[in-house]
Amino acid sequence: MAAPRKLSMKQRYAALTRDLDWDLSYVDEDKAYPYTSFEGIKIHDWSKWEDPFRLTIDAYMKYQAEKDKRLYAVLDSFAQGQGHLQLTDPSYLNAMKLFLQGVTPLEYQAHRNFAYLARFLNGPGPRFAALCQSQDELRHAQTEIHTLSNYNKYYQGMHSWQHQHDRVWYLSVPKSYFDDAVTAGPFEFLIAIGFSFEYLLTNLLFVPFMSGASFNGDLPTMTFGFSAQSDESRHMTLGLEAIKFMLEQDPDNVPIVQAWIDKWFWRGYRLLALVSQMLDYMLPRKVMSWKEAFELYFEEQMLGGLFPDLAYYGITPPRHVEHAIAEKEVLSHQVYWTLYQFSFAAGFTTTIPSEDAQKWLAEQYPQTFEKLYKPLWGKAAAVVDNGGRYFYQGLPQLCQVCQVPMLFTEPGDPTTICQRHTEFEGERYDFCSDGCQWIFEREPEKYVQAWLPVHQIYQGNCGGPTVPDVLAWYKLQPGDNGEIAGNLEQTAWETWHATSSAEEQAPAPVAGN
Amino acid sequence: MAVRSIGEYKFPSRSRQELYGDDQLVHLWWKGNLWFCAAACFRAPKAMSWNDFVGGMVNPLFSCDPEFDAATTTFTWTVDDKPISPAGDESLEALGVGHKSLITCVAA
Repeated sequence: MAAPRKLSMKQRYAALTRDLDWDLSYVDEDKAYPYTSFEGIKIHDWSKWEDPFRLTIDAYMKYQAEKDKRLYAVLDSFAQGQGHLQLTDPSYLNAMKLFLQGVTPLEYQAHRNFAYLARFLNGPGPRFAALCQSQDELRHAQTEIHTLSNYNKYYQGMHSWQHQHDRVWYLSVPKSYFDDAVTAGPFEFLIAIGFSFEYLLTNLLFVPFMSGASFNGDLPTMTFGFSAQSDESRHMTLGLEAIKFMLEQDPDNVPIVQAWIDKWFWRGYRLLALVSQMLDYMLPRKVMSWKEAFELYFEEQMLGGLFPDLAYYGITPPRHVEHAIAEKEVLSHQVYWTLYQFSFAAGFTTTIPSEDAQKWLAEQYPQTFEKLYKPLWGKAAAVVDNGGRYFYQGLPQLCQVCQVPMLFTEPGDPTTICQRHTEFEGERYDFCSDGCQWIFEREPEKYVQAWLPVHQIYQGNCGGPTVPDVLAWYKLQPGDNGEIAGNLEQTAWETWHATSSAEEQAPAPVAGN
Repeated sequence: MAVRSIGEYKFPSRSRQELYGDDQLVHLWWKGNLWFCAAACFRAPKAMSWNDFVGGMVNPLFSCDPEFDAATTTFTWTVDDKPISPAGDESLEALGVGHKSLITCVAA
């Protein structure tokens, strides 16, 4: 008998995702897949799910292994060659600390929830796509940790990121964002993470971090970025397939999906407030301004490219998008001004932008920087000249939904803080914007449970009543937080550069990490 | 609209007043002064007098602004958008300050 012909990759994919599936005979379908009906999404034919990549496990593993090999070769040579001394400045790593503390734990959360989808979606096609994404996300979490662990030997702020993700005030922003997504049903999660995060906003998150790495001498992170890029394009395709699949299955799905787009655009956009300041303030060598990135990756690519396509299904651009567009002139400045005042309680450091940096900011933001923000930095510099450093002597009011301090201003009035509130069951709740207020009023029962860091400190749940108590509970070590100038990291850097040029001496790791 | 869920979905607020005993959360906003990036949140006794609030909470915070002078800077005040004219001895509660109220001041 002739040996069976080897199947093509397409045939293997079909065999894996379709032929290995079977019709249930011992249990009802709704018992085996109990979570795909309560959200109100109607699916008539799961086989209509199209996975344009048609990956099989063996092909997937082969690609990923090759990418890992390349990444770890770069990491090894970087570590052996003291590559960290090639950074533009150690303050660049503030961006990476934020990434490690804020984003890496989200990769792991994504891994977990896609694994859940890989079990609980009814169709074999979407289950297999979710399985691949689940493995990608786990790989991303691991490779990010390995990439940045090189720096942990020499620099502050990277030693307790997992612990801090669950505790520190600004990290409750990404954490609560993802908690919101994973506690939703499977279809809302697909729109929240698969579509809004991985498609609508992904370029605004990843391109700034990875380009920032390449502009600032961070070869490992840049290599990680390349290694993740092909996965990310698969995730974008999955997100787009998910939304099209839902919209095509039943017209009743359209208003449900629209409301999720409205909610998750604003949730994601508020999370990206942290990225905006990273681009405009944290990077020693600038890549592009937040305003430029927003115009290119969101206004042009999404509002100009994606939404006209989705209009075919009756989908309109997200609610409150006009506020995000108007905010591009002020967002990053307001956020970094806030981080400057509160960095005594952060796992990164801040400083007054240099003269050159302020000149760049004025060029990028001709309508706002010199008028509104330069005077504030001038006043902060005068405090420094008098031997002080401005830190906010208190705790800020937080938004109940996004959990960012209520620092954003009224649409059209950049000098007045936006204050919104809603009463629900006799209690008052505060919001930073119309977008967050709208999200709360849709599902107040969900957001009344918010673990707001400021309120938790006042309830005595964060290590004690004083600032040092709370910082100890955050596991912040000396040099992790506060001002950049004169910081442990900065002085170590200067010593390393002085000694390595004089004696070619390798730097000693900083104690405590 | 209520949360769509797989079962009953009812949880208490994680910031409800009873968690603070005889105290409550109070927000303080110096409107129009961008030196302070956001309004502040304090935990204050309901029975705290206005003078104690100003001396113990308002002034220490506002003193971060080098242009602020507790002796000469004067303000007009509102509580949740209602004007108040505090004399000094009234309690926060008597001035209409409730849990998570917003006390706003504008420099005169």
